[in-house]
Amino acid sequence: MRTRQHKWSRPVFAYLAAALILVYLSYLLPQLLPGDFVTAMYAGADVSLNALQEAELKAYFLDNQTFGEYLGNLVRLDWGYSAAFFAPVSTLFFAALPWTIVLMGTAHILSSFLGFFLGVEAAWRRGSLVEKSGVGTMTVLEGIPEICTGALLLLVFSLHLGWFPAAGAQTAYAEQTTFQWVLDVLHHLTLPLITLVAAYFPGNFLLARAGMVMVLKKQFVLTAKAKGLPPGRVRYAHAARNALLPLVTRFGLRFAFMVTGALVVETIFSYPGLGTLLFNAISMRDLPLIQGIVLFASLMVLVVNLCMEWVYTLLDPRVSHAS
Amino acid sequence: MQVHIQNLRVSYLEENHSLLALDRLDLTLHPGRITAMVGESGCGKTTLGKAIMGLLPDNARLRGQILLDRDNVPDLDEARMNTLRWSTAAMVFQNGTATFNPVHRLVDQVAEPLVLKGTPRKKAMAKAVDMLAHMGLAPEMARRYPHELSGGQAQRGLLAMALILDPPLVILDEPTAALDAMTKAFIARVIQDLRVRGKTILLITHDLDLAQALADDIVVLYLGQIMEHLPGRDLLENPSHPYTLALARAFPAMDAVRDLGGIRGDAFYRMVHAHAGESGTDHVHTHVAAPDSFHQGGHAPPRGCLFQPRCTQAVEACTRDEIAIMPSGDHQVRCLRGGIAQLLCFEQVAKSYGPIKALAPTDLTLMAGEVFCLVGETGSGKTTLAMIAAAAIIPDQGKRIFQGRDMDIWVKKEFTSLAPKIGVIYQNPAESVSHRFTVFDIVAEPLRIHKMETRTEKIHSRVLRALSDVRLSTAPEFLQRYPHELNMGAIQRVCLARALVHDPDLLIADEPTSALDPSVQAKVLKMLLGLQIEKGLTMLFVTHNIGLARKVADRIGVMVDGRIIETGPAARIINHPGHQYTKMLINSARGLSDTPQGMSQVYR
Repeated sequence: MRTRQHKWSRPVFAYLAAALILVYLSYLLPQLLPGDFVTAMYAGADVSLNALQEAELKAYFLDNQTFGEYLGNLVRLDWGYSAAFFAPVSTLFFAALPWTIVLMGTAHILSSFLGFFLGVEAAWRRGSLVEKSGVGTMTVLEGIPEICTGALLLLVFSLHLGWFPAAGAQTAYAEQTTFQWVLDVLHHLTLPLITLVAAYFPGNFLLARAGMVMVLKKQFVLTAKAKGLPPGRVRYAHAARNALLPLVTRFGLRFAFMVTGALVVETIFSYPGLGTLLFNAISMRDLPLIQGIVLFASLMVLVVNLCMEWVYTLLDPRVSHAS
Repeated sequence: MQVHIQNLRVSYLEENHSLLALDRLDLTLHPGRITAMVGESGCGKTTLGKAIMGLLPDNARLRGQILLDRDNVPDLDEARMNTLRWSTAAMVFQNGTATFNPVHRLVDQVAEPLVLKGTPRKKAMAKAVDMLAHMGLAPEMARRYPHELSGGQAQRGLLAMALILDPPLVILDEPTAALDAMTKAFIARVIQDLRVRGKTILLITHDLDLAQALADDIVVLYLGQIMEHLPGRDLLENPSHPYTLALARAFPAMDAVRDLGGIRGDAFYRMVHAHAGESGTDHVHTHVAAPDSFHQGGHAPPRGCLFQPRCTQAVEACTRDEIAIMPSGDHQVRCLRGGIAQLLCFEQVAKSYGPIKALAPTDLTLMAGEVFCLVGETGSGKTTLAMIAAAAIIPDQGKRIFQGRDMDIWVKKEFTSLAPKIGVIYQNPAESVSHRFTVFDIVAEPLRIHKMETRTEKIHSRVLRALSDVRLSTAPEFLQRYPHELNMGAIQRVCLARALVHDPDLLIADEPTSALDPSVQAKVLKMLLGLQIEKGLTMLFVTHNIGLARKVADRIGVMVDGRIIETGPAARIINHPGHQYTKMLINSARGLSDTPQGMSQVYR
């Protein structure tokens, strides 16, 4: 039997190596990308630059650091200066991050829990009218992309009915008590959140239901029933517990791609999260900002994956055995 | 706890028909007794276990009564049933590891029912660990997950889990399947211990040795019907129903000496379904069909004996009449013929040739479907006895009864109807065929003599079938061969084909393989036994070689000087010979050379 330490150190080491490679790739990013800030800034403008001016401007916005310096700056949270927003990249980043976490985190947790419980209950009632219509509806919903739901919701509830704000995460410059502020934030959150839940929930529901249907056929579920356990315990402690793994995988994958996942919805609702920030940065070729956000997004994938490996062993003792 | 099952009928609904899993089953389980249920897969054994636990799937339809003391399971609502489960009736499911939830520790799963019945968690865990230890699983084993257990450990864990609430009724579904002999013995001891403690035990198993060793009562189930209900000790050596005999013959019991024989045909599922009858109305009926053939197999009779298509002693009435289960001694048998029938019975049959007494007055009984081996030295009267059985020799005295009719009268009055029922393979194959006959004529001769077929093409097709049954060529050139062109093995097969071409009920084989070398002999014997199973033949096999007899026989009779000195199940004769001469015969067959010359003189 391997020691615990050995078991843990190996994946962590591998992940560190992968992280280093990612950082290096992000260091190379500016040289790999076509276009630059200067070209982007002056492309639509009436001003035309002569060759000397252009060269000087480009030299001004170009930073020549070695990989070592880059790495050091990274750790010191000095991620460069955004030329487009006139602010340090880290300031911009940390201003946007909470909103994305609030939006995406809530959406993921909500859609996963809802999907899991309703999927489990649906599988338990397999063959009933409720279950059949549920599966039908979810299959249709699964096919509608979030860009479509988002645009529709914005159009109807915000622009037409005016029930919800069309942009932002909070009302600017308002004098509010904390409670009012929370309500205000929730008010702004509603439409993007509904869009995301509508996009993620059907998949979770179908996955949970399918997994549960398979598990319910297993011998040990019959054993649990035979033991005279209450139905709720049979359903959750025995059956659903075994259907959890694919759902957790899906949750992890979605969570890892939080920033890119937020891109569309945040843009539609002009929500001030990382998605919007990235979108703007790309349209203005603001290289340090792009670099920062992309690096964060890719490191996020690694971190989530590492967490998942650990969560798997918690959920299913057979996983640690298999590796 | 007394379990009283009455008129229980369970069927599984499928798309347009239903599968009848249990049919009007009556059974009582008593406290302190082990009732074993045996039968092929798909006969409804597990269904019964699940029905008692109230665990049948949603598509199951149940009629009749299952009384657990006073509670009738089909009448109970789910909540009440749930209070009975595990505390009153617990079940050890088959397939150990898969029965456990893979994500919970063994001890947690064992303790779970206790915790939910209100025992404090700590106490429950301690009790679970104790119970597991009682089953031979150490505490560190208890902390393991199911996938970290071996099959035997999982099985012990299952037992511990089933017994944790100390239920009065325990249902064990294949508790020893796929286990090694030591674990099996351990589990057998646990089950015995449960009986001593007055539990009611239903043991569902394929393992006839285990059933015989443990069970007080044995129920033989076939396609959802009880075929035989017998005391445990009789299962392997004294079954009454042809199906029980066939099961015993197919089972690799430790004592068995005969090569394993299967049961001819396949177990079918019984379907109940409705479709438009000729009058255009739907009518519901039962029929037996192969699971993959549905309608192609045609409509088997909805009435009559279920086992009849595979039975070795079926008569025409078996396909017609509804057969009830009837007492027969201390057995209960569902058979129109009252259990395994006698095919041939000799009472005090004797024969002498002038001054030579070839056969002293002898009693002999051949049961339908069995292989009876006559073993003895040359000149002990084996062939005489065989030829009397074949109706080729008229005995001087005694009574012969064949298929319930007096053979002597039958021979005199209608020999033509008797002769086709018997097939004979003679001692010397080369001498028993006419050298002027072709292969085709040799095999066709019985059909022609008995006028069983008159149309040439019919004769032709039956001859070809007989030849292919014995794995001989059916090419036209081969049919035109003469015996001297064939080797001994092929001639012996031609003789076998001739003996079987008219579908006899009784096959008498007199030293059928003594002229063959061992490798050919092995092939011919294997084929012969295969045909015996497939055609349901009764066989009287005469040989001087007790080593051969032990591989062939269900029962053995030992002959010395015109007398049968010992008969009995082959296993008993070989393993525990009763007569001194039999012991000598076995020893000499083993190559122990201390046997005196002419020993039959000594034991006259």
